[in-house]
Amino acid sequence: MNIQALLIALLETIGMTVIGTILSYVIGFPIGIILNITSKNGIKPNKYINGILGTIVNIMRSIPCVLLIVVLLPLTRLILGRSSGEWYVMIIPIFVAAFGFVSRIVESSLNEVDGGVIEAAKSMGASTWQIITKVLIVEAKPSLINGIAVATINIIGFTAFAYDFGAGGLISKAYSFYKNNTKYFISYSEFFKNPDIWNLIVTIILIVLLVQLVQELGQRISKKIDKRRKAK
Amino acid sequence: MSKIEIKNLSKSFGELKVLDNISLSINQGDIYGILGLSGAGKSTLVRCINGLETFDEGEILFNNQLLCSSTKRVERTNKSKIAMIFQSFNLLQQVDVLKNVEFALEINNIPNKREKALKALERVGLLDKIHSYPSELSGGQAQRVAIARALVLEPEVLLSDEGTSALDPETTESILKLLKELNKELGLTIIMISHQINVIESICNRVAILSNSKLVEEGDLSDVFLNPKTEIAKNLIYSNHVRTKLDEEKTIRLTFDGNSDEPIVANIVEECGILVSILFADTKVIDGKIYGQLVFKLPKKTKDITKLRKYLDLHNIKYEEVTK
Repeated sequence: MNIQALLIALLETIGMTVIGTILSYVIGFPIGIILNITSKNGIKPNKYINGILGTIVNIMRSIPCVLLIVVLLPLTRLILGRSSGEWYVMIIPIFVAAFGFVSRIVESSLNEVDGGVIEAAKSMGASTWQIITKVLIVEAKPSLINGIAVATINIIGFTAFAYDFGAGGLISKAYSFYKNNTKYFISYSEFFKNPDIWNLIVTIILIVLLVQLVQELGQRISKKIDKRRKAK
Repeated sequence: MSKIEIKNLSKSFGELKVLDNISLSINQGDIYGILGLSGAGKSTLVRCINGLETFDEGEILFNNQLLCSSTKRVERTNKSKIAMIFQSFNLLQQVDVLKNVEFALEINNIPNKREKALKALERVGLLDKIHSYPSELSGGQAQRVAIARALVLEPEVLLSDEGTSALDPETTESILKLLKELNKELGLTIIMISHQINVIESICNRVAILSNSKLVEEGDLSDVFLNPKTEIAKNLIYSNHVRTKLDEEKTIRLTFDGNSDEPIVANIVEECGILVSILFADTKVIDGKIYGQLVFKLPKKTKDITKLRKYLDLHNIKYEEVTK
């Protein structure tokens, strides 16, 4: 087995995921905040802004990632000079596909903040901006961090489509072990005769470990910084 | 001097009228109780005072100047002069006690945060808890933090929206004691919203009773509590327990207004020769004087009743005969 190729694939996946997630949050985080505060029970209810943003977000979420990639091929080529063959061509489609659900994840984390605390801040004369920065984000921090883990895992899933565009990554790699040897996948008696079977298994294990790591990290950090109901 | 004056305030949620032409005046230094069952509108009323709620008609004056009306909102500078505490304390859960108190100053861009916050926390007796998180505090401690957070803005009025309703009786008492001290020391005007009679009774000097969106009675605590005029107020002030007994038989209710220290029951027995059977007795110390009421069965014989009336009149004891 080619360890170097596997490592490169791992790095490609991490690259796509990390940069894709960061970009999704750059846009998704503010949208999530706006969705929260403009909702009916938010601090600045506005059904027009909420309705328009909510619709955009829902549409973006419902378009399958692979279709977005196709639609965005010209844009990717325009910005990055190419639209296939390198891991980074996946960043733009991932970002476009992911910012919608990132917005919803952020919104729902903020929804968990106790209305009473917001009310107390209002009674002291807090402005909308102060409530967002000093109450909502502060109080929702553990949940927001959990949300980042959920978003990241989702985005790892999106990197599967990199195969079609030669953008590499672990999932593409695993998929290629099927694509190059389709005849072994007819029955399980043939299955293990696949010369790449161990490569396939190792790659899948790596993907599982990666997802597990993100999940575990998210939960641990979230739990560690959460000051509620901490056992003494 | 009138600190807060509410004039003809009305508010509806759609078809539902929640406040119906409420007018009342709260003086500087008052501990003013607003009593009513849940849904009576008392919470909405107090939330109008600090701008958490808008209203449809009327106006509220603060230090004789317009604070808010149906068109004018409460200004930011005035919000810090009218602080509020809540039933569920409403502290930031993710920051420690000290930061919770500093938060009030931060929002209002007031310098020397640390110093002022520590002073306020010292006043409420929580200096040893400044680095604890709200989840590590008892209910009483959490409410003290909320009081410190209110005090740090040096308010002129403190609104308490069921501030003790989530606390056990002992803790309630200690919080009420603290509020009373703050009222005396700082001249802080306090408005207490509560559905708990004993809370209002033990701390307030004036009281308003709200029922079904309307103000039904208002005045000095002793006047309203000893001689409730409306059926609604009577229902609120006498516990259910007493009321059922009152309904069962012909009874007489004596009220004490803090002027007599004679052993009245013993005297009645001795001087009138009537054996009284006490149905209910309740005395309380309000503002250092003894107030209370005593309910007993009316004697059967008319002769005895006359005797009893004479005795009570002679000794200036207020009474009321209650028949079903």
